[in-house]
Amino acid sequence: MNLPRKLTLLAICLPVFVFLVPGSEAQNARPGAGARPVVTVGSQGPIPEHAKFTPAQIEGGKGLFLQNCAFCHGKDAGGGESGPDLTRSKLVTSDKEGEAIGAMVRNGRAEKGMPKFNLSEPEVLNLVAYIHSQQDSALAQTGTRKGVDISDLQTGDAAAGKRYFEGAGGCTKCHSATTLSGVASRYSGLPLEMRMLYPRDAKPKITVKTPAGQTLTGTVEYQDEFTIGMKDAAGKFHSWPARSITYQIDDPLEEHVTALSKYTDEAIHNVFAYIQTLK
Amino acid sequence: MSWTKTAYFLSLLVGTVASVAPLAAQDVTAEFLKHPPRDSWPGFHGDYTGQRHSALTEINPQNVSNMTLAWTFQTQQNGSVKSTPILVDGVLYFTTPDNIWAVDARSGHQLWHYTAPPNKAFHIGQRGVSILKDKLYYMSSDAHLLAFNAADGKVLWDVVVADSSKGQWATMSPLVVGNHVLVGASGDFDNLQGFLRAIDPDTGATQWNWVATSPVGTPNMTTGGNIWMTGTYDPELNLVFFGTGNPTPVLNGKVRPGDDLYTCSIVAIHPDTGKLAWAFQPSPHDTHDWDASETPVIADATFGGAPRKLLMQASRNGYFFVLDRTTGKNLVTTNFGPVNWTLGVDKDGRPIPNPAKEPAPDGRLIAPDEGGLTNYRSPSFDPKTGLFVVSASPSYSLYFSKPADGAYGWSGADYSLWSKGVLEAIDYKTGKIRWSHPLGHRAGSGVMTTDSGLTFTGDASGNFLALDTATGNTLWHSGSGGQIASTPITYELDGHQVVMTSGGSVLYAWTLPAATAGSSVASGK
Repeated sequence: MNLPRKLTLLAICLPVFVFLVPGSEAQNARPGAGARPVVTVGSQGPIPEHAKFTPAQIEGGKGLFLQNCAFCHGKDAGGGESGPDLTRSKLVTSDKEGEAIGAMVRNGRAEKGMPKFNLSEPEVLNLVAYIHSQQDSALAQTGTRKGVDISDLQTGDAAAGKRYFEGAGGCTKCHSATTLSGVASRYSGLPLEMRMLYPRDAKPKITVKTPAGQTLTGTVEYQDEFTIGMKDAAGKFHSWPARSITYQIDDPLEEHVTALSKYTDEAIHNVFAYIQTLK
Repeated sequence: MSWTKTAYFLSLLVGTVASVAPLAAQDVTAEFLKHPPRDSWPGFHGDYTGQRHSALTEINPQNVSNMTLAWTFQTQQNGSVKSTPILVDGVLYFTTPDNIWAVDARSGHQLWHYTAPPNKAFHIGQRGVSILKDKLYYMSSDAHLLAFNAADGKVLWDVVVADSSKGQWATMSPLVVGNHVLVGASGDFDNLQGFLRAIDPDTGATQWNWVATSPVGTPNMTTGGNIWMTGTYDPELNLVFFGTGNPTPVLNGKVRPGDDLYTCSIVAIHPDTGKLAWAFQPSPHDTHDWDASETPVIADATFGGAPRKLLMQASRNGYFFVLDRTTGKNLVTTNFGPVNWTLGVDKDGRPIPNPAKEPAPDGRLIAPDEGGLTNYRSPSFDPKTGLFVVSASPSYSLYFSKPADGAYGWSGADYSLWSKGVLEAIDYKTGKIRWSHPLGHRAGSGVMTTDSGLTFTGDASGNFLALDTATGNTLWHSGSGGQIASTPITYELDGHQVVMTSGGSVLYAWTLPAATAGSSVASGK
């Protein structure tokens, strides 16, 4: 059976599963293209093609998820204390058989507060099965879905946002419509709004004068009270005791932190409306 | 000659040596817990005040840079140690979820290790065990209270505190007061009633149960108010002080109008009856998950020129409070970092939530973020300098809630945008910040101060830090190689001060070189 036909059949069967057996999750339910608006997972690509897992794997994964993941990501993987909604996660959408989720579980993402977990291969696959099933059943919903949709974020006025961007917001100190051109094609929805407010993956630049009088420039890779580490243009890592060098850090993100202390909610929604026009 | 008599003669013979190496076992009575000797740390906070301040002075600002490692203990577990070890009779007891260890404080040698049967409850952290006489008390992840024989780790009894299948779990170290083991449960993904329960230390029978909120299903009334953390105790007033958790549903406040008592509250309760003496609410009608679970630190100190019985809390919502703990009357309310969710402070010292800052479908920018300006990590109060030292996380976030998110459990979404870590030293009389010490990103360590003028904590990169309490300047550091998620403790062992820290899943015992030097290995001719 080819994929489009399978999808159509599933789309016909699904409502029965979903509405007649409340609480049961159709295994790897994958609705047809028409079953959800394209905005459901934001800009997060096509409908996921998740591998098939057994109900036992999903059930096993549910237990592990409750123990290890649910506090941050919510019992249903739809978001909890500080962890993102995995049913809207681009990484989960892109994951076929655990290659992306497994790597994230094993390595963590320290800068975002995600710890690494030392789980066995079958345990990781069970977790993957549960997360897939939760995303699939979330995507199978029709009507208004819990969580943040792009349509929820459309309350701003782009013209007012442009005025704020060019005026009170001070954004043009570093940015212009030209330098940000295409940003709304690369990102959309909540990920775009969060990047707009604080693009956390932008690394501060550093200029270091070594005791020998050498000057190096690069990006800050490590910094605490005692040690400064940077990567130079060639990608080589250098580090020094912080006391032994003079250095200057240029962190463009400090302006974003300052902006956070000034924004009204209305200004955020307006600037977001404007940023969405920069395709 | 009987053993006790031998001990007596030995103590006469060896004099000073015997005074630093007591031969009698420590008997952890209710009185012992009121005045813990310097060679013990018999409860979560050490003593009942929650000050996490030690009278020990051997390690001081002049010699702390010489501090060296005595031993480490590898738990070989996933995740970080979040518990505070307790020390009784030269044995350390500490936990991670589903695990308890008993370890010789002289060597790090493991005496026993308990592992819990598999259970599906949340495993976000375990704060430690408590002790009375020969029994340890432990809250399992699935919210049972278990009593153990401290000597060998055998389970003596096991009682259900909350039904974990309904959504509550547990992390807390029980507070032992008199003849009561005081426990609560955690949880905010389900609309459940928060409670504090007194349990008989010998039998496990419930003595009383205080509920923070109305029964589930009461119209227009909140649920929640779970008690996640260990409280403090004033033996003179015979009151225990606990912080209660946030209301549920968490981000949707529409279905629970009003203040939502007693959620996000500091409550004073009679330990013998479970009757509420007074309550103060740091976060009326919370819609941001800012529980008031942070330590209600008690101190007898001067305020307004007169000695006063004080209670202090640096709360998750960004405000520092000083109360009179006899009456609950507010004396100081100040923010200790950026907050943008209030319309000011009311006549009773409570922040007034701004309705425009409740979570909304298109998002609201909120400071601090949901992790809060501080969280479960313990602060410390230094009576000498009058500084309340707290690990803070200035932060901003977006909060969302819409009708489709419903009115059960989380009921919305929140996303942190930015945060950093900074240690704030707050003058308790004014709430003003005396010094700040940057910690990098949001840091996970608690704080301990000592009478010699030292502050111990950790930064976000996993460095253990010893600072000068007067200035906040760094005097010593050591990289732990892991995330620091516990609070340092200190005690005396064999006449020398030990500082105990954890980083990642490893425990570290620190002493001055004098404490580890001088050992010689006999060749045995």
